[in-house]
Amino acid sequence: MTTSGANVPAAKFDSQALDDRPIRTPMRDAFRHLRRNPVAIAGAIILLFLLLIALLAPVLAPYDPTIQALTDRNQPPSAEHLLGLDALGRDLLSRVMYGARISLFIGFFTVGGALIIGTVVGAVAGFVGGRTDNVLMRIMDIMLAFPSLLLAIGVVAILGRGLMNALYAIAFVSIPVYARIARASILSVRELDYVEASRAIGATPFRILFRVVLPNSLTPLIVQATLGIGTAILEAAALSFIGLGAQAPQPEWGLMLAQHRNLVFTSPHTVFYPGLAIMLTVLGFNLLGDGLRDALDPRLRV
Amino acid sequence: MSRYMVQRLIMLVPVLLGITVVTFAMLRLIPGDPCRVMLGERATAQMCADFNERMGFNDPLYTQFARYMGNLLRGDLGESVKTGQPVISELADRLPMTFELTVAAMFLAVTVGMSAGVLAALRRGSLVDLATMAVANLGVSMPIFWLGLVLMFVFAFRLQWLPPSGRTTVGVNIVPLATAWGVSEAAPSWLRSLVDFISGFQLFSTLVTGNLAGLWDTIKHLILPAFALCTIPMAIIARMTRSSLLEVLGQDYIRTARAKGMGDRLVLGRHAMKNALLPVVTTIGLQFGYLLGGAFLTETVFSLPGVGRLVVDRILARDYPVVQGAVLIIASVFVFANLLVDLTYAWIDPRIHYE
Repeated sequence: MTTSGANVPAAKFDSQALDDRPIRTPMRDAFRHLRRNPVAIAGAIILLFLLLIALLAPVLAPYDPTIQALTDRNQPPSAEHLLGLDALGRDLLSRVMYGARISLFIGFFTVGGALIIGTVVGAVAGFVGGRTDNVLMRIMDIMLAFPSLLLAIGVVAILGRGLMNALYAIAFVSIPVYARIARASILSVRELDYVEASRAIGATPFRILFRVVLPNSLTPLIVQATLGIGTAILEAAALSFIGLGAQAPQPEWGLMLAQHRNLVFTSPHTVFYPGLAIMLTVLGFNLLGDGLRDALDPRLRV
Repeated sequence: MSRYMVQRLIMLVPVLLGITVVTFAMLRLIPGDPCRVMLGERATAQMCADFNERMGFNDPLYTQFARYMGNLLRGDLGESVKTGQPVISELADRLPMTFELTVAAMFLAVTVGMSAGVLAALRRGSLVDLATMAVANLGVSMPIFWLGLVLMFVFAFRLQWLPPSGRTTVGVNIVPLATAWGVSEAAPSWLRSLVDFISGFQLFSTLVTGNLAGLWDTIKHLILPAFALCTIPMAIIARMTRSSLLEVLGQDYIRTARAKGMGDRLVLGRHAMKNALLPVVTTIGLQFGYLLGGAFLTETVFSLPGVGRLVVDRILARDYPVVQGAVLIIASVFVFANLLVDLTYAWIDPRIHYE
């Protein structure tokens, strides 16, 4: 462990310098740890890069992702087309770039939805307790009794194919994860003195839950959400791959793989790059999520 | 231990009931007229009336549910809308394939994942450790359907070491057990179905009939799909083993064992591994569910005739009774696998009891 203060001789102790130091808050502390973690930095760089591509896709993409050059179908990578052309003669690099938009949207939309609903369910269960808690958490247990991809497939089967339906399905099946974490976290915060204090000054239960307890229980949820985005992107790509998610001509990475999987031997580039894009994106979220966990959970710090 | 076992078994009841409610609800939640959805837009009013009668959609919901439960208990999962076959027999044809694939993947994930995790923990900070953790990080981020295609390209197309897809090579003779064991046509139908079901486990049936060529062919077809399927659990198990073992190795009783002159091998085998294994066992149970879900993708990539591919095909064909039955069976298998893991856990760690 590196403690910077330990090496300073007591005689030279400068109380003025001490006062000028930035105030140490848990958030700043966490950020400091995050910055020192090369793995988390790598993840953040990957994601920043990806975000830039997604936002600037219309500027950065060399070609229109929908324009077909049917005479040059499946052309391998070249100087004009860095990643080659796909089965309909569309520029693969441009399509992969536009795909970043869809994948990031998938990640934030599904995790955002699951996080909000799951947190409310878990918060209510943990805060109200008793029978409400029991009923809500048993429902969550039953959802967790299904392998998540299977349940998502079942939900899409009911709702019908399509990217949005796949996203609702993925968001739905990840609700219990957040509900359980929120509940556990709230149970541990609920009994602390400052919650008692707000109760004493007459705050309503609603206010106590959402203004006092919840903000102090967010840490594990943030970590899980970051890791969850990676999983959601993988699952959405999987649903698209088996034909239940995004539909042509959307430049969704999983769908691009599905469309070209019969060409894997003759035109491997059409399969290779969309899959690589999925892997790098998920890797970015996983690395950042692991780093966040180390930084936000002081018990894990070595 | 026995008390824990009983309590754990009682816990099964609400979960299994919940699963049946969910699968029952599946058919009833389809937006629009289920008849039009399943039979297509061209179904006539008469066809729909017959269909609703046959499926029992005209009765009140509680009657439908009671009948559904009653049928389930008798092993009746309904009939396929597309083929008219009993759902249970369609699933019985496909389950062995999925089961073999899942078990093969789990075997790879556990053996390779745990060895890598132990190695990384023992050489903490070394190149081996860094490499293992880097590979594990890639592993958990892997779209397995993509990895499957890449493996297929490298090992089946470029190197030509392994077959690209399917379950057996055309021309390799796999004798059904019913023939090998001489189960006659006159035998009761349940017996023939059972033998056919067992026959579907091709690793087993080729082994017991002494068909080594068939066994080898089956194994060769399983290697790539199992490897593609196992990456995520393998990576998770490796990470879990490493961190769990590192934690245990830092404890006082390990130092004591070392201090009294015990060799590394014994310290690891007799003291450290036992305790380090506990969280790993739980992880293995949860990963089983992942493997069952992932089988949908692997079977699609490698054109394997398993349940996963059946479900995907039937969702696209809107054959909901088959989808419903498959979801029910797979979820139940997952629940029982977790039960097994929990019981193993209690067996390894006598401190476990139900709170």
